[in-house]
Amino acid sequence: MADVSPAPASDLEAAPPPRRATLTAALLAPVRWMPEATRKRAGLALLIAGVLLFPFIVRNAGDIDAAANALAFAMLALGLNIVVGFAGLLDLGYAAFFAIGAYIYGMVGSTQITPPWTDVWQPLQWLGLVSRAHVEGGPDLVHIHVSFWLMLPGAALVAACFGLLFGAPTLRLRGDYLAIVTLGFGEIVPIVVRNTPDWTNGPMGLNGVISPQMFGFRFGVTSTPYYYLAAFLVALLIFVSYRLKESRIGRAWMAIREDEIAAGAMGVNRVRLKLMAFAMGAAFAGATGTFYVAKLGTATPDMFQFPVSVMVLVMIVLGGMGSVPGVVLGALLLQLLQSWFLQDLTQWVHALGRLVGSEGLQQVELVQTIELIFGIILVLMMLYRREGLIPASRTTAPLSLTEQAAMPSRGGIGASLSGIRDVRLPAGTPMLEVRGLTKRFGGITAVKDLGLTILPRTVVGLIGPNGSGKTTFFNLVTGLDTPDAGRVFLMGEDVTGLPSHAIVERGIARTFQSLRLFANMTVLENVLVGMHARTRANAVGAVLRPPSVRAEEKDTREWAMEVLAIFGNRLLPRVNHLAGSLSYANRRRLEIARAVTSRPRLLLLDEPTAGMNPAETMELAEQIRSLNTMGLTVLLIEHKLNVVNTISDKVAVLDYGEKIAEGRAEEVQRNEDVIRAYLGRTAAARI
Amino acid sequence: MALHDVVLQQIINGLSLGAMYSLLALGFTMVYGIIELINFAHFNIFMVGSFIAMFALQSLGLHGQSRLLTGWPLVGALSFGFASTMLASGGIGVVIERVALRPMRNVKGTAAMITTIGVSYILFNIILLTTGAGAQNYPNPMPQISWHIGGAVLRLREVLLWSVSLVLMAVLHVFVQRTKMGKAMRATAQDQEAARMMGVEVDQIVMLTFFIGSALAGAAGLIFGLYYNNTSFLIGYTAGLRAFTAAVLGGIGNIVGAMMGGLIIGLIEALGGQFLQVRWTDVIIFSILIVVLALRPTGLLGLSTPKKS
Repeated sequence: MADVSPAPASDLEAAPPPRRATLTAALLAPVRWMPEATRKRAGLALLIAGVLLFPFIVRNAGDIDAAANALAFAMLALGLNIVVGFAGLLDLGYAAFFAIGAYIYGMVGSTQITPPWTDVWQPLQWLGLVSRAHVEGGPDLVHIHVSFWLMLPGAALVAACFGLLFGAPTLRLRGDYLAIVTLGFGEIVPIVVRNTPDWTNGPMGLNGVISPQMFGFRFGVTSTPYYYLAAFLVALLIFVSYRLKESRIGRAWMAIREDEIAAGAMGVNRVRLKLMAFAMGAAFAGATGTFYVAKLGTATPDMFQFPVSVMVLVMIVLGGMGSVPGVVLGALLLQLLQSWFLQDLTQWVHALGRLVGSEGLQQVELVQTIELIFGIILVLMMLYRREGLIPASRTTAPLSLTEQAAMPSRGGIGASLSGIRDVRLPAGTPMLEVRGLTKRFGGITAVKDLGLTILPRTVVGLIGPNGSGKTTFFNLVTGLDTPDAGRVFLMGEDVTGLPSHAIVERGIARTFQSLRLFANMTVLENVLVGMHARTRANAVGAVLRPPSVRAEEKDTREWAMEVLAIFGNRLLPRVNHLAGSLSYANRRRLEIARAVTSRPRLLLLDEPTAGMNPAETMELAEQIRSLNTMGLTVLLIEHKLNVVNTISDKVAVLDYGEKIAEGRAEEVQRNEDVIRAYLGRTAAARI
Repeated sequence: MALHDVVLQQIINGLSLGAMYSLLALGFTMVYGIIELINFAHFNIFMVGSFIAMFALQSLGLHGQSRLLTGWPLVGALSFGFASTMLASGGIGVVIERVALRPMRNVKGTAAMITTIGVSYILFNIILLTTGAGAQNYPNPMPQISWHIGGAVLRLREVLLWSVSLVLMAVLHVFVQRTKMGKAMRATAQDQEAARMMGVEVDQIVMLTFFIGSALAGAAGLIFGLYYNNTSFLIGYTAGLRAFTAAVLGGIGNIVGAMMGGLIIGLIEALGGQFLQVRWTDVIIFSILIVVLALRPTGLLGLSTPKKS
């Protein structure tokens, strides 16, 4: 075998057994020998060559035109993918931004708006944006003809502003309300366009929009230049999408999509990030609108109705929400279906009809069924392949036995963490001080006039029966709930009522009792989100990746790996696995790692050992103690009293929202109120 | 016409539209109350209902407005129309729930909502492809009897439509508040898991909710046809969004709220169309939707607050 097969002899499975496959194998051999990076690069080069040569291969103007349209829709799909796929905000009025982009260029690129000439326009004429038109028997008029190349980013910017405008009132809403509000905006925009004929020529639509010009060459109505422009824009948007996705911004978006509350509690400013996603998606649509109207030379309100929004949604659902190559493929496939396949199929059906002499078959128009097909695709994909044709989340290789094996280790964390430093507070300043904290839910007072002081570098255990207000207390301290009365001071600074992301910035991180991981993100990405509050890269930086951003990203990743290493080979072999695939105990560890990554001063752990066996429990307890030794202050809610006893410097007991005891673990356990709260009145009497 | 007559006339018109929106809003609000899903298919179940009713009336030999009935034949024809439409629409709702939505029930996020958009689109295009794009002349056997109240005109058809809507809503109210099934429904809306543990067959309740909601949408579809004397494949979208606004206005999940919200939206449409401009009506209504959602997401009545995080 080895002598006929060019494959390496050791690669037994890959060696083709039948002789006749040898030729193919020989041809494919160089591909298999290539390192993966080279193979990817070669594939990309082939793809680019194919896209560039396409007009020379098909030569048919109609087909090139259809391809240009398909690419325009791929641009829309990439934009909606940022909003829906990355950030998880279902926008059903996406066509509105497409319309805005189209009309912005349409209005300044046609003779729709012709104000009378005054000298105010003179500077713009010098810039070449307007010209003075002489009219027989009337005053001179202004002809606006802003360059297409200026308006491409210009319309994107205007659409982004509208994205902020539409997004702002809706962002506090839950996902499904957001859908309906965006649907409302999607309706309003075409109505406004129709009802303001002075600006938009109303239902008749804009006409005579000038086509782009480049180096003296005017695009006109030939399709080929538009095809190349669209291909370039799609490539650009793919690049932007990838860069955003693999950045601090993209991870924050996905965190919001996966679990909004946890994202906030990890330092993600939800309002800002959601607005950014909205604006970014709108900007893509705005640029596409400008391209589209320049290509068509006309724009009518009917081009931007609800069906367009649905079509783009179908594209990303088909391709795979959140998957950049997926949504491009989805857009191209659907356009292919619409402009080629269904027409061809109609011809074939007609031919069949003529052949068998059936009048009915000859009148079938399958192109009209395209929207029905969209609906069917949408339902079928949702029912049977929700992740789309090219899923966004990668599958991961199985672990080897040694990687899977993890014995409980004792003795805490070996190495010290570089990111956790000892805090030096002025003498007498507590790490956390809470005064008179009160929270009522309806008639129930969950936390009542609670006071608690936590000194730096201590471990404080918070215990109490279920429903005694422990988790509510955590929520109040971390900004998930606002207290009705009382104050919270962190290192002497009043942090009461701050939003949760601001509290993370100031140095409090937490875990959740009912795990709140970002299930469809990898272990590493989960931990990286924890660094959100400590990093600065903005959207522009994420796309351009200047050296400062590169360095920041590298430091972030190194720090994340360092934190994951706390738990030995429990999490390290699984860094590229989805968090949702982890075992229960590992999910708890990941939550702790995610919180530690944010470089907190104070770590709040809500039942960190729940669901762990005794050996794992003690392992974790010692690891918590190690974190404390390195400089972290820890406040933990725990039901397992052996954990509390082992690691707490101080224990506070809550019952019915009130603190009933505080002190060293042994003291507290002898306290009668505590015994009564835990075991009941009679038990207390007997003891 | 004096101003107060104009206002009175528009109130009469608004109440008729409102009755229709109320029936439609009930379906949104009930489904949302039970499984916290915005059911976009509802838009077009309403539209399909109006077509089913049209075929039902045509099957009685009624075409257009040529043949008018009075007395028992009229009652009989309308009863047949409403009964068959509500049964068929309810059936469609149940099929949609069973086939497309039940597998989605435990899927997190927006998947179920996207599915309903797909279903809605399918219904829309089936009607478009089978009946064509033109508006259909609607069979309407109601005689042209009317009364003058000052300068305003109250027609028999309006009185009939109000009565039908009132009866349907009263029956629904009694059903939800007084029967065992109604109690099970309310329990499921409060807490599905707890209801299941108390022996409530949640799947059955969800199905029943879809049936009732869709049946009411079908009735609203028939009312649409009788009120406007025509129908088309396009009606579901606008009316549906308005009815959804009504449901939100009344506090989504709140049955009485949906009825009130429907009447308010109907009155806004009629009076707004009179005193502002018809072409801005939808902008006004959607602005109300957006403002209410942004400022007071629990609705004007605000009785029940959705609890899903």
